[in-house]
Amino acid sequence: MVIQMAQKKAKVARRDDQYAKKISTKIWHEQPSEQNPYIAQQSRCHGYDLVELVKGRSYVEVLYLLFRSELPTKEEAEIFEQLLISFINPGPRHPATRSAIVAGVGKTDPVHILPIALSTLGGNFQGAGEVEPAVRFLRKNAKKSPKEVALKLIEESTKPAEGDWSIAPGFGSYYGGVDLMAQQLAQQLATLPGCGKLLMWGDELSNELQSQQVGWLKTGVAAAVLADLGFLPFACAALYQLISAPGLLAHGLEYCKKPMTSYPFPEDKDYVIESD
Amino acid sequence: MSLNQTKQDTTFWDKYREKTYSRRGGWVIGKGVFNCGYNMMNDLVGDASYMQVLVLNAIGRLPERRLADWIEAVYICLSWPDSRIWCNQIGALNGTMQTSVTSATVAGVLAADSRGYGSKPLIDGVTFIQNALIDFNKGLSVEQIVRNTCAKYGGKPSITGYARPLAKGDERIEAMERVTKNLGFSIDPHLKLAYQIEAELQAKFSEDMNINGYVSAFLSDHDLTPMEIYQIFSIVVNSGVTACYMDTYDRPAGAFSPLQCEDIEYQGKAAREL
Repeated sequence: MVIQMAQKKAKVARRDDQYAKKISTKIWHEQPSEQNPYIAQQSRCHGYDLVELVKGRSYVEVLYLLFRSELPTKEEAEIFEQLLISFINPGPRHPATRSAIVAGVGKTDPVHILPIALSTLGGNFQGAGEVEPAVRFLRKNAKKSPKEVALKLIEESTKPAEGDWSIAPGFGSYYGGVDLMAQQLAQQLATLPGCGKLLMWGDELSNELQSQQVGWLKTGVAAAVLADLGFLPFACAALYQLISAPGLLAHGLEYCKKPMTSYPFPEDKDYVIESD
Repeated sequence: MSLNQTKQDTTFWDKYREKTYSRRGGWVIGKGVFNCGYNMMNDLVGDASYMQVLVLNAIGRLPERRLADWIEAVYICLSWPDSRIWCNQIGALNGTMQTSVTSATVAGVLAADSRGYGSKPLIDGVTFIQNALIDFNKGLSVEQIVRNTCAKYGGKPSITGYARPLAKGDERIEAMERVTKNLGFSIDPHLKLAYQIEAELQAKFSEDMNINGYVSAFLSDHDLTPMEIYQIFSIVVNSGVTACYMDTYDRPAGAFSPLQCEDIEYQGKAAREL
């Protein structure tokens, strides 16, 4: 059969698919100088001159413009900025931060620290990988009663015998309890005029779930705010990485100049090789 | 916010906080380096091939040498120095930026963790052929299997493992068929079915099996799961990326594919004032 099939193999030939001749973008426009077509004499972000943006707008406003194609309203800018601050640092215990620290103390080239740590942060367990499903969960359920959704989740989801309970994307337990910082940050963001319906709905759901020792996770809060601001689900996941990047980098750089002995290396007695 | 004030049970985390556990192995200083029960320096170095140990690390089982040799041949098939290929282009772009070779190679490998090419589609490819064989053994015909799968995509031949971007046909399969034969492997049920599916697709859509389909079927016949196969091939594109990086790293910086401002087609908002 192999020989027969091999004889029938078609000659390998390029498909006639049409590929673009140029890269295209709606985001950025570079005007070439008259003397050198490779050098830009002006750059515009969604139509606005970059130098004017530098002079007249905040970093948060331009960041929003970059991804959403319009400058934010005052309310949108306020909640976006508070979101950026809320999740600026996953904290030194977070696995992504630990990756940054290990890279730093391991004398990894500092330019690698951020890519390394962000790859860890991309995970599906309470990381950026959970944000897109959280947006979809919130969007799908936001017209339903939070109480009824909570009851259904509690009834249909089984609490694992070990580890945390991910009752729904963006909601669950955190080291066996409610993530108090996630609740506080959600409540703060919910006080703002720019608070949208997904954050409000999620806050109600979180309250309904707390009898089970589960509630908002940080990924859920970020998902709600970003989705309320109009960011697409897949973009929300990557933006969560961007938002957390400063903290990851800060912790990694903090360790760059420290000796390798400044980071724990477990004693042999505390490293257990399990056999079947 | 009303939170339960009772002390929470953290036994699970406390256990893992106190000790590091490994099911794979580790370095017992003064005694040796152990990996899935093997003493690496005594049992593996010099006796096992690198690819055997790579598979051991990926799935926790040491494959026979000829299967590792077969997998190594697939690695060669899937990693070539053409900087137009997406992962390779990232290597080339890193080269022209004068990054480190490791940064370039790892970035290209990460790029190939893609729904469209590289290692991740193996999950779908293996799942398809394993489910197809179950259906076939239940009595579904090859024609029905193809029709049912294509129906999920509006009748188009969108079966992972068949057809490929850029080109029709796949020269890598003939190469791997040669390897399969030379290593003395037989054609077992998954691969037999894969050929039958290819024949059906050729007849109906003029599409052929691609290397994903061949690898998925062959390794399914060797009792590997979709995730195990994905794990084995996690870095499959690496050497082609390195080659493309070196090609541009060794040229003047910035010489790879430079673009003039007007090489970018701007489709966005017209110039406006703040």
